[in-house]
Amino acid sequence: MDRALRRRLEARFADRLTGPVRQRHDETEIRIAPGDVPEVLLALHDEPGLRFRMLSDLAGVDTGSAMQVVYHLWSDTTGDWLRVIADGLSRDDPRVPSVTFLWKGSEWMEREAYDMFGITFEGNRDLRRIYMPPDYTSFPLRKDFFLPDDAARSPGGGVRHMEQTHGPTNAETGAHVRQAPAS
Amino acid sequence: MTTRTPFDIPAHASSDDPRVTLDEQLGTFEPIPPYPPRTEREAEFYTLRDGEMFVNMGPQHPSTHGVLRVVLKIDGEKVVDLDPVLGYLHRGVEKLCENADYHQAICYTDPLEYISSLFCEWSPVIAFEKLLDVQVPRRAEYIRVLSGELNRIASHALFMGWFALDLGGLTPILWSFIERDEIVEMLAALTGQRMLFNYFRIGGVNGDLNHEFMSRLGTWMSKATNQINSNQALLNDNEIFVRRARGLGVMDTATALSMCMTGPNLRATGVPFDVRRAHPYSIYPELDFDIPSRTEGDCLARYLLRMDEVKQSLRIIDQCLHEMPDGPIMAKLPRLIRPRPGRAYAAIEGPRGQYATYAISDGTDQPFRMRIHDPSFVHLQTVGLLTPGNLIADTMAIMASLDPIMGGVDK
Repeated sequence: MDRALRRRLEARFADRLTGPVRQRHDETEIRIAPGDVPEVLLALHDEPGLRFRMLSDLAGVDTGSAMQVVYHLWSDTTGDWLRVIADGLSRDDPRVPSVTFLWKGSEWMEREAYDMFGITFEGNRDLRRIYMPPDYTSFPLRKDFFLPDDAARSPGGGVRHMEQTHGPTNAETGAHVRQAPAS
Repeated sequence: MTTRTPFDIPAHASSDDPRVTLDEQLGTFEPIPPYPPRTEREAEFYTLRDGEMFVNMGPQHPSTHGVLRVVLKIDGEKVVDLDPVLGYLHRGVEKLCENADYHQAICYTDPLEYISSLFCEWSPVIAFEKLLDVQVPRRAEYIRVLSGELNRIASHALFMGWFALDLGGLTPILWSFIERDEIVEMLAALTGQRMLFNYFRIGGVNGDLNHEFMSRLGTWMSKATNQINSNQALLNDNEIFVRRARGLGVMDTATALSMCMTGPNLRATGVPFDVRRAHPYSIYPELDFDIPSRTEGDCLARYLLRMDEVKQSLRIIDQCLHEMPDGPIMAKLPRLIRPRPGRAYAAIEGPRGQYATYAISDGTDQPFRMRIHDPSFVHLQTVGLLTPGNLIADTMAIMASLDPIMGGVDK
């Protein structure tokens, strides 16, 4: 665990962070507002003490109450993975600026997040569905998209420990909606 | 003459029956999508200039390594632009994993890259172990590295055959299948399966080394170096092959980094980035091996780099066999796993690059979110950069040199 990285990040992005810098195992995690993504990632990419040149992964996450876009970065200046969470995108109209200006290779990863979660990446010139057919209308990885054979919603749900529902249920449909842990 | 209606034709008539008349010709390819362009880029791609035409490659084309469809925009024999169409193999593995418990999720990840399955299991297993704070026994780590490196050799052997086949050479794939089959049979003796092993478990591996595996491995190791050298001599010294692959599909370092490339494709451009050294996991820090890298960045460099990696893998296997400790192969864990709420990210170096898993736990027995990052997916999009300006036949060569597996691309 790289304590120095934590101090560097706290000093550099003090006014941009929306939560504490967390460290666990070999991962360092920061949270920012979606509007700050281009600025923060550009600084992480270019500044000499940081130099996070490699975008290791870009993922969308639906927490049940909001959307997130999660970037994993790698730099040769530290032994840690850096996880940047752009938090608090509205579930009705999730929007975040694209990072294709830094990593052209994020284009397909953003298309995937758009396809699966409906997150709009502003500035991505090719934001169309990548896996699902063009006339498809829903977003399969959202938490309110249920599989037809979802064991937790079956009539026997709750009888066996594997089938118990987790968390609150939707009042209209009776289906449970999983919520991300608070942190 | 009366026109035939479909009612005259018996129901059992096959479509090649001369009595069957079709009012429209079959097999007509209509390349322009029947909907308005969704993006600026799609509109640009599906607008033809003078002399250009569309050709559809796939989804059943044998050199697309699975079911990939590529719409090529060509001018004569030259490719002007291309648009890969994915999704023919999409199974929704991430969604399935969110609806399965932690042990079941591992076997869903197996068929992602079906010729290097152990690596697809490896990264979720490490991510779950991080969520649980489990210490894996050392013997299990050695067995993982040993079987993983064997799988890497099998995967690279198949790459050699496929690459030569896509360039028009038939012999190497026969040789490489001999090579791969021995390894796969060996792994079947260890894991019980030839391709989809489902061998790694959270906290260890499924079974200990057995006699059949060890005796097969011993026999194979004694002749492996010679065998691999003679297989590689088929292509490395082949003038037709070398002249065909050299200077084709050149990728420079800055573009490779900006395209998020990893693995052999990145190392062929001169960046010695390998997760085993850059961000060590398992017992790799204790092992002695080199990270080969090349600076040319063309198809030949990508091919030669993988062949160098095979030799390093043999070194690692040799060290694992000499230093294999005794002890348990599984950490003590309950059958039903409920990690504390948290997030974990694990990346490993597979034969194609960096496999990564980002797992979120909400304290239940199912992962809340499981993101799988696959190198094939990332590498396939560089075909759109490398191919324009080359000939149609070079499209297959470039695609094969990047070594994508559609099972992983489509998830």
